[in-house]
Amino acid sequence: MAHDAVVIGGGHNGLVAAAYLARAGLRTLVLERRHVLGGAAVTEEVFPGFRFSEASYVVSLLRPEIIRDLDLPRNGFAVLPLDGTFTPLDGDSLWRTNDHARTVRELRRWSRSDAEAYEEYGQLMVDMARFIKPVLAMAPPDPGRLRPAEWLPVLRLARAFRDLPRDHQATFVQLMTMSAADFLGQWFETDPLIATMAASGIIGTFQGIRSPGTAYVLLHHYMGEIDGAFRAWGIPRGGTGGVSEAIASAARSFGAEIRTEAAVARVALREDRATGVVLESGEEIAARTVLSSVDARTTLLGMLEPGTLEPSVEEALRRFRYRGSSGKVNLALDGLPDFTSMPGGGEHLRGAISISPSVDWMERAYDDAKYGRFSRRPYVDMVIPTLVDPSMAPPGKHVMSCFVQYAPYHLAEGASWDEQREAFGDTVVETIAEFAPNLRDRVLHRQVLTPLDLEREFGLAEGNIFQGELSLEQLFWARPAPGLGRYRTPVDGLWLCGSSVHPGGGIMGAPGRLAAFEALRDLAGRRRPAAVAGEG
Amino acid sequence: MAERYDVAVVGAGHNGLVCAAYLARAGLRVVVLERRDRAGGPLETAEIAPGFRAPAGVHTVGRLRRSVVRDLALERHALRLLQPAVRSFAPHPDGRAVTLWDDPARTAAELEPWSARDAAAYQAFDRRVRALASLMGHLHATVPPNLSSPSLDDALAGLRVAAAVRRAWGPREVREALRILPMPVADFVDEAFATDALRAAIAARGVHYTAMGPRAAGTTAVLLSDSVGQRGAGERPVTVAGGPGALADALVAAARSSGAEVRCGAEAVAVTTSRRRVTGVALAGGEEVLARAVVSGADPKRTLLDLVDPALLGPTLSWRASNIRSPGTLAKVNLALDALPTFPAASDEERLRGRIVVAPGIDDLERAFDASKYGGISEEPYLEATIPTLSDPSLAPEGGHVMSVLLQWAPYRLRDGDWKARREELGDLAIKRLEQVAPGMSGMVLAREVLTPADVERRYGLTEGHPLHAEPGLDQFFAWRPLLGYARYRMPVAGLYLCGSGAHPGGGITGAPGANAARVVLGDLRR
Repeated sequence: MAHDAVVIGGGHNGLVAAAYLARAGLRTLVLERRHVLGGAAVTEEVFPGFRFSEASYVVSLLRPEIIRDLDLPRNGFAVLPLDGTFTPLDGDSLWRTNDHARTVRELRRWSRSDAEAYEEYGQLMVDMARFIKPVLAMAPPDPGRLRPAEWLPVLRLARAFRDLPRDHQATFVQLMTMSAADFLGQWFETDPLIATMAASGIIGTFQGIRSPGTAYVLLHHYMGEIDGAFRAWGIPRGGTGGVSEAIASAARSFGAEIRTEAAVARVALREDRATGVVLESGEEIAARTVLSSVDARTTLLGMLEPGTLEPSVEEALRRFRYRGSSGKVNLALDGLPDFTSMPGGGEHLRGAISISPSVDWMERAYDDAKYGRFSRRPYVDMVIPTLVDPSMAPPGKHVMSCFVQYAPYHLAEGASWDEQREAFGDTVVETIAEFAPNLRDRVLHRQVLTPLDLEREFGLAEGNIFQGELSLEQLFWARPAPGLGRYRTPVDGLWLCGSSVHPGGGIMGAPGRLAAFEALRDLAGRRRPAAVAGEG
Repeated sequence: MAERYDVAVVGAGHNGLVCAAYLARAGLRVVVLERRDRAGGPLETAEIAPGFRAPAGVHTVGRLRRSVVRDLALERHALRLLQPAVRSFAPHPDGRAVTLWDDPARTAAELEPWSARDAAAYQAFDRRVRALASLMGHLHATVPPNLSSPSLDDALAGLRVAAAVRRAWGPREVREALRILPMPVADFVDEAFATDALRAAIAARGVHYTAMGPRAAGTTAVLLSDSVGQRGAGERPVTVAGGPGALADALVAAARSSGAEVRCGAEAVAVTTSRRRVTGVALAGGEEVLARAVVSGADPKRTLLDLVDPALLGPTLSWRASNIRSPGTLAKVNLALDALPTFPAASDEERLRGRIVVAPGIDDLERAFDASKYGGISEEPYLEATIPTLSDPSLAPEGGHVMSVLLQWAPYRLRDGDWKARREELGDLAIKRLEQVAPGMSGMVLAREVLTPADVERRYGLTEGHPLHAEPGLDQFFAWRPLLGYARYRMPVAGLYLCGSGAHPGGGITGAPGANAARVVLGDLRR
């Protein structure tokens, strides 16, 4: 039986797209290469009894409209909030929590003016995220042509910009252009505070917190904090795989079919139109439309015959920058880490633990990576999911997820990740142990995922967790390349629905949703002439 | 009763003089007030040893807007510009070099031994940069729109630019231009060329005078701005016969002949106001110069935070002004030489007549920048040197030469020690670095003069010694340079204007902010 739509890749975006397509009545099939669903949003029992959110580890960006439309809570989706960010320092620490009064007291210990600015800053970012929110639900216009329908949403945004107070306008411009550290430096003077807050500006980029353009990534991450259904970062019950399972369950409830261990080798074409896919097994699956949640380059250069696309488009795709910059270390522990500056297993371990003691620390970590080596003292962002979801490990044991930056995919000449994997793992453990020396003895098992592993395991090209860097020239209409920003590809009937397209990465689901809408609109447009003919 | 002017211009830097000359030509009564005893700001020729005259600050003036030269008849005022056939000579420590000629065909031909592919790609790259720079040129000549509440005029101006772009370009070029604008210059040259030395020779212009490395977003825009009106990538290394001070003299002569007064030794300490409108300028001696409008050629921070009563700005604007970024990182080393240094990589002397760029690769540039982030100076800094005596032998005694060296990145804020104690270190560093590409040159140095960022600040009144008044980052660009809402030369106090490099289209010896500001001031005063 022919399908209306085939979705390549069962990551969260592929599943979201499939759910929307199925909800609209299309016979939809999802094809996942691995034996589990979720792509990078996956939970696996890596060591007996220890379950990990292997790659991505927290969730907050998932669009509320998706949660609503797909009725995700009924499909098993639940988020356990993470409270606060703990930054251990040499002999001291900085600990911010959702308890505002407590955080202000803590900040006052460092700087009176920072404590005062904190609230004002928080409110400002809420306002900014509210202003930018419509962009997340908008297919970008193509600046190469002036189609009123495409530009209308942008005009609405321009009008909203005009109506902002001037200081807010200026802040918005700064967010689109500044470095995260410079941006924050306008409000704050406490070095570890700036470093820790700026850290979300570099995640998924090959930039330092002082690099222009990172303030935007800061905003990108802020959107979840204000707009998510939970208003905070959180850990999905059952790990990030729980999110994928919930979306998959929703998709199935709308009638979508999902197959695992079904790796797509290429997209089948007839007369420049996608007619389905061919699996690595040789099986052919016909479909009227094909959506790929695999990254743009792999889809359009890897799954099409060379020469299908114009040379200029191929060139543009080769230029799309991935350069993964992060790794992941998953630790199975037989007890909690004990931080010298705040001993014991208290509330401070129940949120994010951030190794970001100073702006210079962060910047030096970046400097190492620029020249092709992993950071000697990296930025590490940790969570201990077992503190909020004990089911992830045997009783009394813990799992700790460590996101590490920088680990450049492209190492300097002569070095290979296969040789450096364990050295990288050692560096991460030693870096954390600078602040929690007992960690060394607590580690039962360790899984080290280098950018190369992220590519091999999860199909993330060059190990980039966002399927392409979130840099200024790769955003919005230019993501993944100028002229390809509206989910449509040059091949009729083939669409991009992953993080390679607007609005980019994170467990957000927006690319999947927007791509599904565009594909549905296209199919409706094709049906209409037929219907008209039928009436005649 | 004191004399009353139509316009008082604060600072006789090149933009102040250009602005004053335009205003005076239009019939206004204009006075220029200069703190120092000479006009020109960093356009200055200094005698660094008996008979050796060197560019004290700026050494090339290739970006000077042609319309300014024409309108102010600078050539009639004895300005003579010298333009070599070479643009940049970038020697590599391995003995090879990349030479960028004014003629792109010649450059391409010489790239052949480096990479046939790059040689083939060069001319197309050159054309691309010209096209993009011409778009940038449109922006430079425009008074930025008021983004906060756009007027009909702004909308029309926007449409005009859009129409001009559409006439010149197809959809693909439009998309490309928009993609390229925010890019890091390292990526921009990486997309075009495989030869690292070539990439660096071009990218160097994208980071010049800035506190950014080549991997910083926005540095391509700096390169394109630098290329406006230059027919290719980067400023042409035009020098002034008699030294850069001669350009200052020509500008003063032009302003005076149009009827403007230029007063040196007149330091502005405050903009005076009445009912939130400017009434003139208070001088250090207590004198008040009355004027209907005040135009400041000083940098935006100095203008808003030092000259204007804080009560008039209010706390929010004061805070915003204090956050204008002006991280100075440029130092200057002038050398008096008893002979012409030998660059083994230069087969002929002609190659040395433009810019000599010591930035062998992209990583070298990035590393030279890295140290400055932590308040230090790289052991292998990025240098841009000129030897003005090759084009104008009158600047040194027979056989002698002058070498003018710009050194980056030397951060205004040092982590260890202060600039007074560490000044000479810069001279040593520059010579050591030059020695790598011109062995034996250290033995030729008769005298030297070093200018640290702190010296630049003290001598020329530039906040943190930033030669461009404000960092040319994407966050201080076009309609938000120096601040969103104040990019149209009008400052928050009625009758106060900004005409210096801190205003659109930014720094460099262009005269563009001065000329653009003059248009706005004239329009307002005639209203």
